[in-house]
Amino acid sequence: MSRLQAEHLYKIFGRRPAEAVTGLKNGTDRDALRAAGTTAAVIDASFSVEPGQIFVVMGLSGSGKSTLLRMLNGLLEPTAGRVLFDGQDLTALSPRELRQVRSTRISMVFQHFALFPHRSVLENAAYGLEVQGVPRAEREQRAAEALELTGLGGWETSWPDELSGGMQQRVGLARALATDADLLLMDESFSALDPLIRRDMQDQLLELQTRLKKTIVFITHDLNEAMRLGDRIAVMRDGEIVQQGSAEDILVTPADDYVASFTQDVDRSRVLTAAAIMAEPETAYGTRTDDGRELRTAEDVMSAAPASVVGSTPVGELFTPCSTSGVAVAVTDGEGKLVGVVPRARLLAALGEPLTPPAAARTTVGQPPASTTTGEAAASA
Amino acid sequence: MPRFRLGDGVDSAVDFLQRHLSWLFDAIGSVVSGMYDGIDAVLSAPEPLLLAGILAVLAWWLRSLVAGVLAFAGFALIDSVELWDDAMATLSLVLVATIVTLLIAVPLGVWAARSRAVSSVTRPVLDFMQTMPAMVYLIPGVFFFGVGVVPGIIATIIFALPPGVRMTELGIRQVDGELVEAAEAFGTSPRDTLLRVQLPLALQTIMAGINQVIMLGLSMVVIAGMVGGGGLGGAVYRAIGNVDIGLGFEAGVSVVILAMYLDRVTGALSLQVSPLGRRAVAKAKELTGGVRLWDHRPQPVVALAGVAVLALVAGGIGVLGGSPQSTTAQGAGNVGKGQKITMGYIPWDEGIASTFLWKELLERRGYEVDARQYEAGSLYTGQAGGQIDIQTDSWLPVTHAAYWAKYRNSLEDMGSWYDQTSLELSVPAYMKGFDSLDDLKGKASTFKGRIIGIEPSAGEMGLLKDKVLKEYGLEGEYTLVDGSTPGMLSELKRSYDKKEPVVVVLWSPHWAYSTYDLTKLKDPRKAFGAESDGVHTLAREGFSADQPQVASWLKDFSMSEEQLTGLEATIQSAGKGKEQEAVRTWLKDHPGLAERWTPVDGGSSG
Repeated sequence: MSRLQAEHLYKIFGRRPAEAVTGLKNGTDRDALRAAGTTAAVIDASFSVEPGQIFVVMGLSGSGKSTLLRMLNGLLEPTAGRVLFDGQDLTALSPRELRQVRSTRISMVFQHFALFPHRSVLENAAYGLEVQGVPRAEREQRAAEALELTGLGGWETSWPDELSGGMQQRVGLARALATDADLLLMDESFSALDPLIRRDMQDQLLELQTRLKKTIVFITHDLNEAMRLGDRIAVMRDGEIVQQGSAEDILVTPADDYVASFTQDVDRSRVLTAAAIMAEPETAYGTRTDDGRELRTAEDVMSAAPASVVGSTPVGELFTPCSTSGVAVAVTDGEGKLVGVVPRARLLAALGEPLTPPAAARTTVGQPPASTTTGEAAASA
Repeated sequence: MPRFRLGDGVDSAVDFLQRHLSWLFDAIGSVVSGMYDGIDAVLSAPEPLLLAGILAVLAWWLRSLVAGVLAFAGFALIDSVELWDDAMATLSLVLVATIVTLLIAVPLGVWAARSRAVSSVTRPVLDFMQTMPAMVYLIPGVFFFGVGVVPGIIATIIFALPPGVRMTELGIRQVDGELVEAAEAFGTSPRDTLLRVQLPLALQTIMAGINQVIMLGLSMVVIAGMVGGGGLGGAVYRAIGNVDIGLGFEAGVSVVILAMYLDRVTGALSLQVSPLGRRAVAKAKELTGGVRLWDHRPQPVVALAGVAVLALVAGGIGVLGGSPQSTTAQGAGNVGKGQKITMGYIPWDEGIASTFLWKELLERRGYEVDARQYEAGSLYTGQAGGQIDIQTDSWLPVTHAAYWAKYRNSLEDMGSWYDQTSLELSVPAYMKGFDSLDDLKGKASTFKGRIIGIEPSAGEMGLLKDKVLKEYGLEGEYTLVDGSTPGMLSELKRSYDKKEPVVVVLWSPHWAYSTYDLTKLKDPRKAFGAESDGVHTLAREGFSADQPQVASWLKDFSMSEEQLTGLEATIQSAGKGKEQEAVRTWLKDHPGLAERWTPVDGGSSG
């Protein structure tokens, strides 16, 4: 069973929300609604998140992603649709029951940290437990453990205004972890941090996730961040989810130009994997090595290949082998069996432009944006 | 454009409220006056300097040693100008008003912060309360609550409430929305969100509101003094009524000292009680580093202990010392046996003279007399309401005709005690060629088109506006300047000293005629009325039945012109605040008069 399921969620702000939902279902335009003074913030959003997964919702500001997140823990009530959390319909709960769920099983990390300035670091981290009514000694111990986990051991008696932004967000994270909730909602949690700190925090989140196996819904407007963190990614535009899938799905087969335009700035060499861009092994048969030997079998390809990698290897690691040999890099499965090859041309094409349709890649090679991206990718490799 | 009878509606609404909700006003009045009496009793019990010490320790604890020393010096100054009791009365008034205001303002502000509807309804009401001139609701306040300290407190509450509500609402609204959302995201109930997040974070703003409430309350004390609120406001009102610049300044400075003390202490308190304030203080301390000696502040425990010890000592003295009772009347002369009689007066010279004369006479007969100064409108309203037993300065049948017409059913006329009165416009004698009101016509430029008037509530002003100016065709040519008796007298003195042209509204008897050489402008057309006024004594309804002896003395009372001007002159030369001593001196110079005015069967008194 999925941990979290959103079923046809709508959120309408303004007058006559129910009518607006009916209108949207029958094909009314969002802009037409806005002209009438009604804002459709989220339109027909459905997805499911499995336990232990990081589900990233990506979109520009105003795309409805924060509204969507707030419906997941009931801070906002959906105009239509259901939210199922471990099979329980959150939209059917009374306010008191909903608060109970929020205090024990769902916690949240905010964009601007939202630390209480009148509470010490320890009291902030212990806030959720305090709301639950956990006795002081126990909640302070658990809060201290959470702070330890986020690398803030020893800062318990400090005040939020004495900490840097990164440290403050660690307190925010510790506050969310201290309640031991199953579901973590993170609302642009790293967006307010400067790039180096942001990277640190992303690494730390991934590292924590390998140990804690929380289910996380993460909101961001930064596709690089989405690709780094997300097991699955949903891209939102104008209140609608336009595409869901893995990082490679989004990069390799963007659903439309909007998604494609996002992916232009992504450092593909880090996101794309060998498995995502490899060609069938047979395409290497009949090619020749630099010294003229013809490759006829899988064994030939594997022995002649400049390197042999597994499918999850980022393409960034394929540049050096490709540059030393004309033979394609071999991609093998866990048992060492050849599952695909990455020839030099395919590697370059993959960095240049989304591969849908493959013909398009060829026509746009050499255009300024593509070459810029390739150049960056090559430099960073 | 038809005249919209808004005022009539208000009139009948006030009547209706007075008739049907008097029990409610009585209840409010007794709660408020109970609080006031309680606080005033506590504040007046200890020796002044001891209480000054307690207040100084508080200032030391909350702010600094320097603040404590200055506070002590300030309060010692108030004591040394003999305004201590007035200051404590004012402090009590402000404290009661502040407490009641906060009890209303903070919950209302919280409600307004949580509900747009409440906020949009309260806003215009608050504007109304804050900008409506206080006198407009002060007089109805006297209707509902009677004269004295209660309408003053109510008026102060009405005036001071808006900033309390607004600052509370603002404080809560400006708490970062993300913090409130964070509290909700962790399952905090709305009540706990308010108590644990919003109120603590809004506390500094709310405290600033409290500070505003106190300051506005202090600024209202003078107005409260006009309806018998007493305290420093009464002292200020008395001083301006008598053009006593010295006393006015002393009382004014005392108000300022109280204001500064309360402002600084509440300001410091807001830093101490609000979590954000404490945080800011701690940070500042880290920045400045070491603690200097004069910044040292006693720990709360030490300060509280100090206050407690001083308070105990104060209480002990208060209990042991008791209060010295004055016993002026003994034996057969003591017909009053301590019964209380209240007198009210308008600060006009014949009123002051006759009131203090009767205060002295009645006290010699064993009554306890409380004489207070009022603005004319509130004096009549208060007396009709039964709070004031006697006033001795009602000019009837002409000048105070409007008041008499309105309140005659609730008042008893004790008869006239002085008949040689007249109302007139006067010019300095150096203004040659001005002998009659007719001479003023066409000379507006000489007097800059102004006739210097007195209080617009005075009967003479009404007569001038409605009748006299029209009769002599001066309407339009001259402006009758509304002001006050002291203002008129100051203008007269200023112009007289510089020998500038001036025409003033005046009446006889008045000491101005003996001080300056003035010409009373003749009234050939008898516009001021063919019959002249007598100065009447008025009592509240039922007074004759309650105090038949006093009533018969008052009915038989009369003064000659020589006696009255002599008494007024003695009071003038004795100086302000010594009216009763002057009366004693004058009575000593006129032996037998006291016994004639207040005869007792078979006895005499000392």
